[in-house]
Amino acid sequence: MSTAHTNALVSDYLRRLDRAAAALPRSRRTELVAEIREHIDDALREADASDEVTVRNVLERLGPPEEIAAAAGPARAAASGRAGVLEIAALVALAVPVVGWIVGIPLLVLSRAWSTREKVIGSFVSVVPCLLIGFLYAGIGAGETTSTEVGAATEPGGAGLGPLEVMTLGVIYLSGLASSVYLAVHLRRTREPRTLEV
Amino acid sequence: MEPGETRHSLSQLRRGAVEYCVLALLRDRERYGFELVRKLSEVDGLVTSEGTIYPLLTRLRRDRLVTTFWRESESGPPRRYYELTDGGREALAGFTQEWTRFRDGVDGLLRQEGSG
Repeated sequence: MSTAHTNALVSDYLRRLDRAAAALPRSRRTELVAEIREHIDDALREADASDEVTVRNVLERLGPPEEIAAAAGPARAAASGRAGVLEIAALVALAVPVVGWIVGIPLLVLSRAWSTREKVIGSFVSVVPCLLIGFLYAGIGAGETTSTEVGAATEPGGAGLGPLEVMTLGVIYLSGLASSVYLAVHLRRTREPRTLEV
Repeated sequence: MEPGETRHSLSQLRRGAVEYCVLALLRDRERYGFELVRKLSEVDGLVTSEGTIYPLLTRLRRDRLVTTFWRESESGPPRRYYELTDGGREALAGFTQEWTRFRDGVDGLLRQEGSG
């Protein structure tokens, strides 16, 4: 009954809604999109038509997806909009490897500007590369304690960094930065619909 | 007051009233989401974006003013129905009383201002 074109209109609309609802917990976000999808199906069934004009009218009456997502946001949105200091502190701290993470991750967890999923990704991106390197070194250390390790320890001039060390530090530093950038990008995106609801 | 501000306070009023209109629609029987949205839309000026009713229904459920259940539909997939809880019934009764007082008070003042 419906054409590819009207299907595209509906799926575009639902995609916009899904994106706008990124700040919601995953289950509520999925549920909201499913409810709106059912509404569209019901409305088209009721109209007994699915030509472009009918579909456009149904979507028009639903309103902008951003507005729907904003209405689904936390009721105390005004309070979380003011919490900019906490988020900025978390972002700055996360960019500083290791020491910053100890401060940054708790701040991240406390903040309401990110979804649980984003918080988990943000923490993992910063910590996991560092842990992997740690394990890798422990592995190498266990295997080579008798040969290289001893040799390196006895050489006093070994203060200079080898390419491996530079790379390791680079990865650790970049992972902190990557986490911070990821969260900054998602912070901006979730802020937008939130300001609509006051 | 600026025209924009009037619109803002009206939308605040509307937002507050809509949830009780949902409860009122559920007073006598359970209804499904689309049905509720259509009923609310029939009231002129009450709902500007139909889609925002769904988050409102979620909030009512979270606040335990309504409960939901699924029921087979004759014309399509199963539907989620909304039903008033005892708490919802109480909230509706309370609001109805307050609203009547509020409306009469405001009406009285508005008329007075108009004639004076």
